[in-house]
Amino acid sequence: MSGRVIVITSGKGGVGKTTASANLGVALANTGASVCLVDMDIGLRNLDILMGLENRVVYNLVDVIEERCKLRQALVKDKRLPNLSLLPAAQTRDKTAVNSDQMKVLCTELKSIFDFVLVDSPAGIESGFQNAVAGAEEAIVITTPEMSAVRDADRIIGLLEARKDEITQYRLVINRLRPNMVKNSDMMSVEDVLEILSVKLLGVVPEDEEIIISTNKGEPVSGTENVRSGLAYRNIARRIRGEDVPLMDLDALNGTWMTRLVKFFNPSVRV
Amino acid sequence: MQQVINWFFRTNTDSARDTAKDRMRNMLTHDRLELPAGRLESLEEELIAVVSRYFELDKDTTKFDLEHYERRASLVANFRLLRSKC
Ligand SMILES: Nc1ncnc2c1ncn2[C@@H]1O[C@H](COP(=O)(O)OP(=O)(O)OP(=O)(O)O)[C@@H](O)[C@H]1O
Ligand SMILES: [Mg+2]
Repeated sequence: MSGRVIVITSGKGGVGKTTASANLGVALANTGASVCLVDMDIGLRNLDILMGLENRVVYNLVDVIEERCKLRQALVKDKRLPNLSLLPAAQTRDKTAVNSDQMKVLCTELKSIFDFVLVDSPAGIESGFQNAVAGAEEAIVITTPEMSAVRDADRIIGLLEARKDEITQYRLVINRLRPNMVKNSDMMSVEDVLEILSVKLLGVVPEDEEIIISTNKGEPVSGTENVRSGLAYRNIARRIRGEDVPLMDLDALNGTWMTRLVKFFNPSVRV
Repeated sequence: MQQVINWFFRTNTDSARDTAKDRMRNMLTHDRLELPAGRLESLEEELIAVVSRYFELDKDTTKFDLEHYERRASLVANFRLLRSKC
């Protein structure tokens, strides 16, 4: 079996890579696929906290690479989903503990076991990013609709373009969209960001306090019904699996009277 | 009252959204080309000087635009030619 290795990356820090990784891991696992989350933010381990697994971490990715343990020993099983595992980052090492070749070997092994390998990348464009993308064939670029985040996303897209031979596809997730501000022309819309970056859209996640609550509980929102952001991540997971899922609740997310009017006359148009 | 009217007729041309969009476009063009600030402007000046050696130009309608296609920019120059200088 050969799974898909997808790196989740951003350029600017703090835009929601780790949150997306955790949520897409849960959402993909809920579709029945086997999933491994790989925390590549070495030295700044976070993903275990979002998954509520911080008490179960024994070994980590660097232990595997330095052969202090077997891969199977380092994988932490999710509390609820038996087909979801986490390979934690080392908390007390730094990025230089791993190189690109070692990462490629690790990803090859992981994709022989799992349907999806999601690699949570650190912020920035240096070695941490280079290592995180090393074993990947696909990328998800996360940005918020703010200028500085979009600029850094563009930089990442440039770097992914330069790796066309390895990275066969990359798509954008716009996170923390505030529909009301877009409606009032106070910030860039989804269309604005797509037009500026000329990139394919994978999904839009609204700003949602539930994300903070769920982080505190250690239970990603995509596992909970009736949460807007959770539905957004579930939709993204279905699109990753190849389903054609329309953007959710466009009126609330991105609606102006114009787009509503267009949709009214032609419901098939994706505004 | 004036404020209410302004708010009511608020056009989108100077909204934060449009300003952000214009600034972004400009910024990314420079980023992608690794183009230093002011470089484009000096090219434009030189182009005008070159074309002016051959033609008398209508300076008011001379125009330079950056058009974007996917992730590449094209520089489109428009010179209104009045007569040849020979
Ligand atoms: N859609 C959202 N709505 C509200 N808060 C969010 C949303 N997405 C992320 N956050 C919050 O933003 C913060 C940063 O998120 P996260 O840690 O996932 O970012 P990151 O890109 O992984 O950061 P880093 O670059 O440091 O690794 C967190 O506090 C998270 O709860
Ligand atoms: Mg992170």
